[in-house]
Amino acid sequence: MYKRAQWQWLAAILLLTMACKKDDNNVTKLNYEDGVSTVIYDLAGDTEASVADGVEGKEKRPFRSFYFKLSAKLQSWDSSDAFKQSSNWDLAFTDIYNALVYVNNGSGEGPGKGGAGKGLIIAVDSAYSKVTTAPEEEAFETENLRFAGWDGYPQPYNTGWYFYSLNTHLAVPIKNRTFIIRTADGKYGKLELINVYQGNPPAVTDLFWPAPYFTFRYFVQQDGSHNLKTP
Amino acid sequence: MRTSKDLYTLIILCCSSLCAFSQSDSSRTLKGVEVKAVHLETLTSRAAMPVTVINRKTLDMMGSRRLDEVMREQTGIAIVNDISAGSRAIGMQLQGFSADYILILIDGQPMIGRNAGNFDLSRITVSDIERIEIVKGASSSLFGSEALGGVVNIITRQHIDAAQGQAIVRYGSQNTQDFTLEGETPFAAKSRTGKIVAADNATIADYNGTLNLSGNFYHTDGYNVNSFLSKGATAPPYDSYSLQGRLRYKLNAKNSLNIAGRWALRNSINESVYSSSQVINTTRDVLHESDVNGAMVWQANLNKGWQLKTQYYLTRYSTTQDVSTGKSTQLNTNDFTQYYHRFEEQVQYVVSNQLSFAGGVGGNLEVMDGNDLKSEYAYLQGDWKVNKQFSTRLGFRYDHADFYGGRLNPSAGLKYSLSKKILLTAAVGTGYKTPDFQKRYQVFTNPQAGYTVLGVEEVATQLAAMQAAGLISEVRPVAKDISAALKPEMAVSYNVGVSYAPVQNIRIDVNGFYNQLHNFINTVQIATRTNFQPVYSYINLDRSFTGGIEAGVSTHVLKGLDMSFGYQLLYAKDRGIMDSIRAGAYPYNKIRNNNTGETRASKVSDYIGLENRSRHMLNLRVFYEYAPWGISATFRANYKSRSGYDDANNNRFLDTYDTFIDAYCLVYASIEKKLCKGHLAVQITADNLMNYTDMLMPGQPGRILMAGLKWRLFKQ
Repeated sequence: MYKRAQWQWLAAILLLTMACKKDDNNVTKLNYEDGVSTVIYDLAGDTEASVADGVEGKEKRPFRSFYFKLSAKLQSWDSSDAFKQSSNWDLAFTDIYNALVYVNNGSGEGPGKGGAGKGLIIAVDSAYSKVTTAPEEEAFETENLRFAGWDGYPQPYNTGWYFYSLNTHLAVPIKNRTFIIRTADGKYGKLELINVYQGNPPAVTDLFWPAPYFTFRYFVQQDGSHNLKTP
Repeated sequence: MRTSKDLYTLIILCCSSLCAFSQSDSSRTLKGVEVKAVHLETLTSRAAMPVTVINRKTLDMMGSRRLDEVMREQTGIAIVNDISAGSRAIGMQLQGFSADYILILIDGQPMIGRNAGNFDLSRITVSDIERIEIVKGASSSLFGSEALGGVVNIITRQHIDAAQGQAIVRYGSQNTQDFTLEGETPFAAKSRTGKIVAADNATIADYNGTLNLSGNFYHTDGYNVNSFLSKGATAPPYDSYSLQGRLRYKLNAKNSLNIAGRWALRNSINESVYSSSQVINTTRDVLHESDVNGAMVWQANLNKGWQLKTQYYLTRYSTTQDVSTGKSTQLNTNDFTQYYHRFEEQVQYVVSNQLSFAGGVGGNLEVMDGNDLKSEYAYLQGDWKVNKQFSTRLGFRYDHADFYGGRLNPSAGLKYSLSKKILLTAAVGTGYKTPDFQKRYQVFTNPQAGYTVLGVEEVATQLAAMQAAGLISEVRPVAKDISAALKPEMAVSYNVGVSYAPVQNIRIDVNGFYNQLHNFINTVQIATRTNFQPVYSYINLDRSFTGGIEAGVSTHVLKGLDMSFGYQLLYAKDRGIMDSIRAGAYPYNKIRNNNTGETRASKVSDYIGLENRSRHMLNLRVFYEYAPWGISATFRANYKSRSGYDDANNNRFLDTYDTFIDAYCLVYASIEKKLCKGHLAVQITADNLMNYTDMLMPGQPGRILMAGLKWRLFKQ
């Protein structure tokens, strides 16, 4: 009986050892390039700003907003009213961690207020490649979010692209949420805001992981149609 | 003088020992006879619940260097990172209870110094540990009722009967270095030879005093499991120095004195470089911490079974931690110094072989950065062996804190031998934990995430000040409910077990446990800042529970061969979350499938449980010793099923679409050969042999191979 018990133990050990294979380290780097869309990697936001007060050796100030022109892939820090009211930007990365993203719209509240911007933004809970058409004008106007930031914040109906985890105190981007946008000059496009942390990690494991560094991709239909098909 | 002569003997032994020095002796392990006068503060003698014991021999065979390495291999224990408190926050989880609720004791006295509730066990070297005791659940009330989740008691070297010394050198992967130098001697012999002949003709030591000194240096380069780092470590590198001493002296036939001291220092600099697409960021994290523990115990054996023990314990912990970026911007500082004094008077009374009592009264004074907290306690325990089959243990502890008033915590244990093969046990106990300094006084704004946390006593003034400064956009109704009357957390633990020995040398243990936590202190948002960020404080909110089954099989079927198998099934859930799902409260009312983007209403059955807890944990151990060749070897495997890492779909509870740490299994092995009649030993150890790493477990190193040389000096 003891002999048999020993063999059973040995078999168990062998099985366990074989089951303990090396992992791929849980890092799967996704490929966002589809040949048509533009992918922006690690676009630095206001990395010098702090939101804290009373931290020794650091001056507290609000995050400086930056503006992004989709067609030119151009980042601008010009915060003059003249610039903000121009059509030289499509997305404004504002507020904490520059993560509150506005479209350039002259009629509503937002950085583009009073300008000529025609920007609109709506959210679709679907994979980027599966979003193929922009809705009709009317639906677009009624669904307009004006901005995309912290999901469900400050109100539950504020659909956003990330949320703060109360468990880890980190920003977690929401997967398979795509934004359909209208640019400042009225062209339709789609936008996926992918990450705010440097290198676009699949999960953040360090409270001090460098941020904000934006990874996002977009496609703007240049012919003015509602067709947003990408491979 | 006798004392100095013995010390000389020790020094001479240390200097001149060679292999040839030794003479034949069959004993290859350090012999030990306890100095009878001193009663050990053990959990075994104080806990109603089952106690797990790890002895010196196991530690030696495993070849572990730091306490966290030993603990992570135990059934029902996990060493987990607390991501929200920074890369250095790592703690031990027991039966699903987080590190906040686990008390760490050294020789029965509490150790302090935590990082957001986490006690980093890698602070402690195992070099001078004689054994480790683990009690799970809120039952070891006599050691401190704040241990809601359990107690780990580290017992330093106690048994000394001959002058001997030991030097250990280990070196291995990640430039890991471990040096230990240890010496001990009895002194002041009662008889001329220092030995008396016992009834069975064996000579045993008979000295009035013993002295033990040990020192350890440890270095590691740390370990990196984060592929986004081009430099730096996720398990930080450090240097650790520790010194430990213990003196025991029998003043006369009835009185003895025991003095113990420990000093430990740790320095760590971790420079992490994140590089991606031409962006390079450096974070520099510097830590200095020091730890002092001192205890003085006077024990008097009075007449007719009465024993009196008077003890004073002092510990000091101090830490400075600074995290800054390459641009010398400070991200975080965590500096504090904490003192803890304890004075205790204990009485033991042994009425008969069947009945004994232990009781005590004591006071604690805790001082931290100008705030002090006084508390007093009293306890009483009775042990009654009713008959050969049935024994009971009943204990009460009363705690009184300055601010929170008093509370009585009972615990009770029963043992019943159904037959020679079957033993039934049952235990129940309660624990109670008063809110710590942070929860009462802290004023903290996280520089990275921007939220603010206010201790309950600071809410009124700080919130008013922030409002006056125009920093607050909204104050929530719940802010009015935040008061200094934060209630202490309370736990009730139940444990029922059966131990079955079908044949000699095979034992099967099965234990069911259930722990319920009341008045759980949780963060709650009380206001919103003008920058959209929340202001948090603390409130007694949810009730959590952990429950499950622990099972073990241990066999000793062949001489020198010990095999064991352990398993834990765990359910750990927050009833507050379950209630919110049931009530359909936002954001708990929905569940988003992150693969498709679809959202549906949530059900209670979607809730998996608390983060970082594996439902299944398994371990297997084989220890083998072939005495004629002086060879011993171990093989251990540890399996943990997947556990939740973080919410990924913004509903604040763990469901199947969230981020998980995959199931994994770690394999450990070691082999040791004793040479020169036990004076020399060579050991090779492999921790995490298959080199399994996961980015989501930053503190779990990959494969560490070590080679060690142990040199033991003793008189034959």
